[in-house]
Amino acid sequence: MLQIDNLHARIGDTEILKGLTLSMGAGEVHAIMGPNGSGKSTLASVLAGREEYEVTAGSITFDGVDLLELDATERAVAGIFLAFQYPVEIPGVSNINFLRSALNSIREQREEEPLSGKDFLAKVKACAQLVELDGKLRDRSVNEGFSGGEKKRNEIFQMAMLEPRLAVLDETDSGLDIDALRIVSHGVNSMRSAGRSFLVITHYQRLLDHIVPDHVHVLAGGRIVHSGGKELALELEDKGYDWIVDNPATEKA
Amino acid sequence: MTEVVTTTKEAALAARISEAMALSGVVGDGHAAQQYLGQLPYPTTRLERWKYTRVARLLDFEPQSLPETDPPGQILPGFNAHRLVFTAGKFTAGTVVDEGKDGLFIGPVSAALERYPERVGALAKSGFKSSEWFAAMQASAPQDGACILIPEGHRSDQPILIHHHMPAGARAAQPGHLIQVGHGATAEVVLWSDSPAGACGLMNGSLDASVGDAADLTLEIVQDEAGKGHHIGHHHFTQGKDSQLTVRTATARAHWLRNDLQITQGGTGANSTFHGCYLPNGEQFVDHHTRIDHAHPDGQSDELYKGLAADAATAVFNGKIMVHKDAQRIEAYQSNANLLLGERASVFTKPELEIYADDVRCSHGCTTGQFNREALFYLRSRGMTETAAHNLLVQAFLAEVLDGFRPMIRDHVHAVYAERLGWT
Repeated sequence: MLQIDNLHARIGDTEILKGLTLSMGAGEVHAIMGPNGSGKSTLASVLAGREEYEVTAGSITFDGVDLLELDATERAVAGIFLAFQYPVEIPGVSNINFLRSALNSIREQREEEPLSGKDFLAKVKACAQLVELDGKLRDRSVNEGFSGGEKKRNEIFQMAMLEPRLAVLDETDSGLDIDALRIVSHGVNSMRSAGRSFLVITHYQRLLDHIVPDHVHVLAGGRIVHSGGKELALELEDKGYDWIVDNPATEKA
Repeated sequence: MTEVVTTTKEAALAARISEAMALSGVVGDGHAAQQYLGQLPYPTTRLERWKYTRVARLLDFEPQSLPETDPPGQILPGFNAHRLVFTAGKFTAGTVVDEGKDGLFIGPVSAALERYPERVGALAKSGFKSSEWFAAMQASAPQDGACILIPEGHRSDQPILIHHHMPAGARAAQPGHLIQVGHGATAEVVLWSDSPAGACGLMNGSLDASVGDAADLTLEIVQDEAGKGHHIGHHHFTQGKDSQLTVRTATARAHWLRNDLQITQGGTGANSTFHGCYLPNGEQFVDHHTRIDHAHPDGQSDELYKGLAADAATAVFNGKIMVHKDAQRIEAYQSNANLLLGERASVFTKPELEIYADDVRCSHGCTTGQFNREALFYLRSRGMTETAAHNLLVQAFLAEVLDGFRPMIRDHVHAVYAERLGWT
C-alpha cells in the first residue's frame, strides 16, 4: 500500500531524511521509534505534504500513485490522514462546520455526493462517542481552548470522520494522561481494518501496549536502521537506542 | 483695465459644491461653517491625519447637475424597520413620526427644522467642522438627513433604518443626520449607504448623535457602494453619564472611503463599544480614523477593527484614545488586526494613546500579518482546497466583528464579501 524508497528530504539547508526506505501493506500497523531529531516528525510531514519540506531524492508510492506529485489537499483526498503532534487552534472556525466542509470537499473531489445533514450528524455522533468527545467541544472553534488530551482526541475524532486509508499518528501519545491514552488507543483500535494502515510515530513504548503494532522500526539519522516485530519496542524501552544506532552492523532490512 | 481674480483650487471646489448644494436645496444654516472653510487647509499627505489618504484628485471634481431619479430599491426587504430614504442628500421616501414638541420625532431634518427649530438648533454638533476641511464643507452647505429625536425614557421597539443612496453619475451629496437619545431612552439605528456601479460622485456626509444620561444607542453602519465615487463620513457622538453607545461599521464595498469617528464621553460611567470591519480589494481604498475622549471617570471603551487588504488595495487605520486628566479608573481597550492578501496590498495602522490620568487601564494592539500557514496546512490536510481553506480563515478572522451585527446585516455583508472575493 505504501512504498517509500531511498527518501531524502530537507528543510532549508538541513537534510533530515537521508535515504529512508519503508514498505507497508494494507491493514498493517507500523510503529516508528527513534531518538530525538532522528526525523520522525519530518517523515510524518513529508507524507502529509507539508510544503516547507523539500524532497530531494527518492520516491513515495501510495496505492500505486506517486504521492510526491500530490499536494496536501490531494493527499487527503487520496486517503492519507495526519494526526498532528501539535493540533492547530483556529479561532472563529467551528469544529463541526470545518469537518463538514472538509468531508464534503473530499467527497466532491472523489466525485461522490455530499453527505446529507442527517447522515453527517449521525456520523458525528458515532465518531464522537468513539473518543468520548464532549458535544461542547464539537461545537467550539477548532482546538481553541482545548486541553492537550482534548486536542488529541479531536484528532482521532477527525480521523474517524474522514476514514483514511493510511493514518499517520505523529506522537499522538505526547501530553496524554493514562485515561486519555486509553481513549485515544481505543479509538484507533476500533478503526483498524483490513483496508486501513497506521503509521504510529512515538517516543515511548507505552502507546504500543495499547496499539499493538505488526512491525516496529527504528529511525535514526534520517534512515530506518533496524526493524522488528512488536517485541522490539520492549527491547528498546529496556536498552535504549544506543546499541542499534552506534552499531550499524545490527541493521537488517 | 483687466480685473485679475485669483482663487485657490480648494476655494473653487468649495464654490462648485456649494452651488450644487444650493441647486438641490440646502437644509439649515451653513454660515458659521463657511468661516472655518475659508481658514482650514485642504488636506494633503503632509498632514498627519491625511498621510496615507490622497484627496488631491478631488480638487478637480465637477459635480454634475443631473435629473432626479426614482427612489432606490428597498434594501433588506425583510427587515422590519422605520425607513427613511435619502437620494443624493434629498429626502425621497419614508413617513414622519411627530409626537409633539417634546415627543418622539422621526423624519427628515428639513421637517424637524420647520416644526421645531429650537429643538434642532440645540443639538450637539461635531467639532469636525472647525478642524477638518471636508467637515466644514459639509456643514457650510448641508443637505437634508434623518432627524431622530427620542424623548426621555422612550424605549423604541422598532429599529430605524436610514438609507442614503447615491445614484449614477458625478453627483455631490452632503447629507447631515442628527440623532438625540434622551435620558434613559434607547434606540437602534442602521445607517446604510449604497450606490450603483455608475456612481462616481462625492458623498461628504455627517452624523451627529448625542446619547443622554443612562441612554442607550446602537448604530450599525453599512457601506455597500458599488460605484467609483469618493465617500467621506464624519460621525460624531457625545455620551452622557452612564450611557451606552455601540457603533458597528461594516465596509462591505467601497471604492474610496474615509470614515472619521469620534466619541466624547461627557459624563461618568459611560460605555462605548465601536467595532468595524473592512475588506478592500482591487485598487480600493478604505480609511478608518477613530478617536475617543475619556473626559470623565469610570468610563469604558472597547474598540475592535479588523480587516484585510487584497490585491493592490490599501487599508488605513488610526485609533486615538485620549484620556483626560480627570478620567480616573477608566478602562480603554483598542485592537486593530489586519491581513495582507496581496503582494501589492498595503496596510497602514497606527494607535495613538494620550493618557493624562494616573489610575487607568488601557491596552492596545495593532497587528498586520499574513495567513497562519500552519492553520492553512491543517485545513488542507483534512481535504479542504487551498481556496476553501483561505476563505474559511478569512471568514473566521472577520467573524469576531461581523457576528456583532444583527443576523440580517451580518448575512448581507457576508454575502457581499463572498461575491467580491469569490467565496463559495
